Amino acid sequence: MPASIFDAFRDFSQYARTFYGWRTIRRPGMGVDFRADEYREQAKRMVEALHPARMRLRVIRVIQEAPSTKTFRLVRVDGPLPPFRAGQYINLYVDFQGVLTSRPFSISSPPGRDYLDLTARGLKRGFVSPYLAANIHVGDSLDASGPAGSFYHEPLIDGDDLVFLAGGSGITPFMSMIREQAEKGWPLQIALLYGSRDPHDVIFADELAELAKTTPRFRYCLQISDPPKNWRGPKGFLDAALLRNEIGAPDGKTFYLCGPNAMYDFCLPELAKFGAPRHKIKRELYGPPADVARHVGWPAHLSPTAEFQVRVGDRVIPAIAGEPLINSLERHGIVVPAVCRSGECSACRTKLIEGRVYMPPTAGVREADRQFGYIHACVAFPLTDLVVAV
Amino acid sequence: MAKTYDAVVIGAGLGGLSAATRLARKGRRVLLLEKHNVPGGYATSFVRGRFEFEVALHELSGLGGPDRPGGLYHYLDRLGVAEKIEIARIPGFYRSVFPDLDLRLPVGRKAYEQTLCDAFPNEAKGIRQFLKRIFSLNEELNFFYRLSLSRQLPGAADLVRLPLNIGNALRYSLSTWGSVLNRDVKDPKARAVLSQIWGYFGLPPAKISYLYFAMAMASYIEHGPTYIKGRSQALSQAFVQAFEDNGGEVRFNSAAVKILTKGGRVAGVITQDGDEIPTRCVISNLDPISTCRDLVGADKTPDSFWRRVRSCSVGASSFNVYLGLAAPAEKLGLADHETFVNADYNLDAHYKAMKTLDAPGSIAVTCYNAVWPEASPPGTAIVVLTALMYGEPWRRVAPADYVSTKNRIAAAMLDVAERVIPNLRRHAEVVEVSTPVTNMRFAGQLGGSIYGFDQPPGEAAFFRLPHWGPLGGLYFAGAWTPPGGGFEPAILSGRIAADVAAARTRVEKGAGHAR
Repeated sequence: MPASIFDAFRDFSQYARTFYGWRTIRRPGMGVDFRADEYREQAKRMVEALHPARMRLRVIRVIQEAPSTKTFRLVRVDGPLPPFRAGQYINLYVDFQGVLTSRPFSISSPPGRDYLDLTARGLKRGFVSPYLAANIHVGDSLDASGPAGSFYHEPLIDGDDLVFLAGGSGITPFMSMIREQAEKGWPLQIALLYGSRDPHDVIFADELAELAKTTPRFRYCLQISDPPKNWRGPKGFLDAALLRNEIGAPDGKTFYLCGPNAMYDFCLPELAKFGAPRHKIKRELYGPPADVARHVGWPAHLSPTAEFQVRVGDRVIPAIAGEPLINSLERHGIVVPAVCRSGECSACRTKLIEGRVYMPPTAGVREADRQFGYIHACVAFPLTDLVVAV
Repeated sequence: MAKTYDAVVIGAGLGGLSAATRLARKGRRVLLLEKHNVPGGYATSFVRGRFEFEVALHELSGLGGPDRPGGLYHYLDRLGVAEKIEIARIPGFYRSVFPDLDLRLPVGRKAYEQTLCDAFPNEAKGIRQFLKRIFSLNEELNFFYRLSLSRQLPGAADLVRLPLNIGNALRYSLSTWGSVLNRDVKDPKARAVLSQIWGYFGLPPAKISYLYFAMAMASYIEHGPTYIKGRSQALSQAFVQAFEDNGGEVRFNSAAVKILTKGGRVAGVITQDGDEIPTRCVISNLDPISTCRDLVGADKTPDSFWRRVRSCSVGASSFNVYLGLAAPAEKLGLADHETFVNADYNLDAHYKAMKTLDAPGSIAVTCYNAVWPEASPPGTAIVVLTALMYGEPWRRVAPADYVSTKNRIAAAMLDVAERVIPNLRRHAEVVEVSTPVTNMRFAGQLGGSIYGFDQPPGEAAFFRLPHWGPLGGLYFAGAWTPPGGGFEPAILSGRIAADVAAARTRVEKGAGHAR
């Protein structure tokens, strides 16, 4: 058929055209010169501007927020600050008492400033927070991760009617979100239910009360759980009755929780009683469980103070059952990469060669990782002697 | 003295994993370096709340299954990888949705052909002819492949028959998919449906290599697409396990920052921790441009390489919206694994939009529960929206505008998806959005490219940048080299790279460090 001969000729003529094309396009001045400066570490530079792995920060101001609590105002010295979403955190890497460790802190300042505020309460139980409160002064330097975390208002699905439940220092990510709203003129409607123990040690109490006066879009309700005898202000817990009183019905609202793990144990059933649908409740993970031995999955006979041996390469170190493995490793100078220290980001993914660990159900371990024996060391509690590869 | 290795593989993407495992199986001492803390590159997963999302895998071609294995299955079986994964067959091929058309395409040559002919009766003859061409081409390539793999030299009869037996391959190897298709099929709707999976290859019909598209299409229609239970992360992990079982050593959180050269050939690798590792063979799973530009150094790479890549362009990246839904798939009417939703039949316009920050013209809606009900907890479902998009326009997005830009595009994609899944947003419990910059962040490839270089006829398949690099001892594995972009091709590329490297370093093997 003449048509098919013609087609065949056309197909074969491609060869000539392509080879001629190659000879042309591969000449200097034609095509793409990948030696050009724009291709130098291009992907790396684009990522660096948004998600730097590490940042060097300097303290420019320390603000006493409440008797127990200080805010550290930080600027970045090794590049511009990357953007972050109100509610995100950074992980601070510290070298304290000869231990290289880290702790995540929510950013309390709103996005768009040339500084970041971190607000830390000097808890007696804590390790890093008291260190910051006592030892960090204006002019000091700190190392941190880039901003991380998924605890923020997501306009794609979250709607514009929000209810925040904050417990104690869990107020910090909300502070960033609320300050951002105040700057933007309150496009979102927010109700903040804030539980605190001591009425004289409430973080950001005055600023929140002031903001609530300026707009009907922001409702603020403080609850004191453990009031002194002569206390006349609001007292009680963040329970279903309070939710009903303060916000009426759950329809169309998205709920955000941030506070100690004990607060979740209390508030999540209360939210269910109130009728908040599970998929509209977002919670920030707040470190490893403090009382892991009370978890349902914890072996009944095992004391959280039990001590086990952990073999790492040719070293053997002791580890306590009730403490995350990463803490034991760090105490003995073995550094595991970490960011969230709450089990969700997988930075501390570690190969478990032998032994068993307990991880809480909130640990975001990939299914294939479970199958092939990887753990998240930041929320892995030893149940036996272990062999791990770091 | 520092420990030496027969080979260092940079990057634990599928190409790197495949190359490393194959070399280790050949008895070489191999070190695998990965900058991320998990293996897999784009074959990984991530967790948000109670959902675990597949980063990229939609449909895996060439695998078949133990009952009817494809070529890829045989390869994974020999490496000891296949036994560690569980494969699910995807019952349908794809669903194609246009404003005035909604078609479900099945697997199997007869069924696929019949469905198309029923939908476009006027084009039946052309469709049959077009599909016949694809399958004869596929047979030719299989014949050629067997011949090239055979340990004996081809006989005279084979050599004489060769040009006759690969007539289609010779004739069409430099044609575009569109030029061949347009000759057989005239209806633009039928053309668009037949070309629907162009999103798996990165270029529209008018630009994409016919050879490459046809090979993949034949593999999909014949063996059917598959999915890996436990997600592609299980495949990557199985590779690592097989690699370690064969004496390989893998280091995570350990990027290579420099490839050392001496007298115009590879001498070693320096890692981000400052470790200097002597080796005479490096297989890079990182893109060839960044490998030579940033690791070797532009001036240490011969000019011939930079001349060669002048005709290459960096391929498309992807934009994804990952959704965890608080409703079961059945309730949402999610019966199909892969649905393409198109704004219209103008595929060239969809391609143009990929080079801008505009809303995409077509998206893929993937529901993993349709093929694997345990993909998410009971009562929930996972849906992922994917659009192709180049990384280039993202260079002009100021960091402060990044989130609003990605949310604008994601919102447009959700609108499109709600045409097939009403009220999708209302059921969402978790949403995550990834952009080409996200791809750059975790895979490190130039432009966040997912398929390597663009694949027009002159830069695809046999004509793609070869596995051997511009320096002695430097090799490339992954989507940037033949056979091309995609999960199956990346794995095969690693295999070829390992074979080439092994053949070229045979003499040096075992010198000084016998095991």
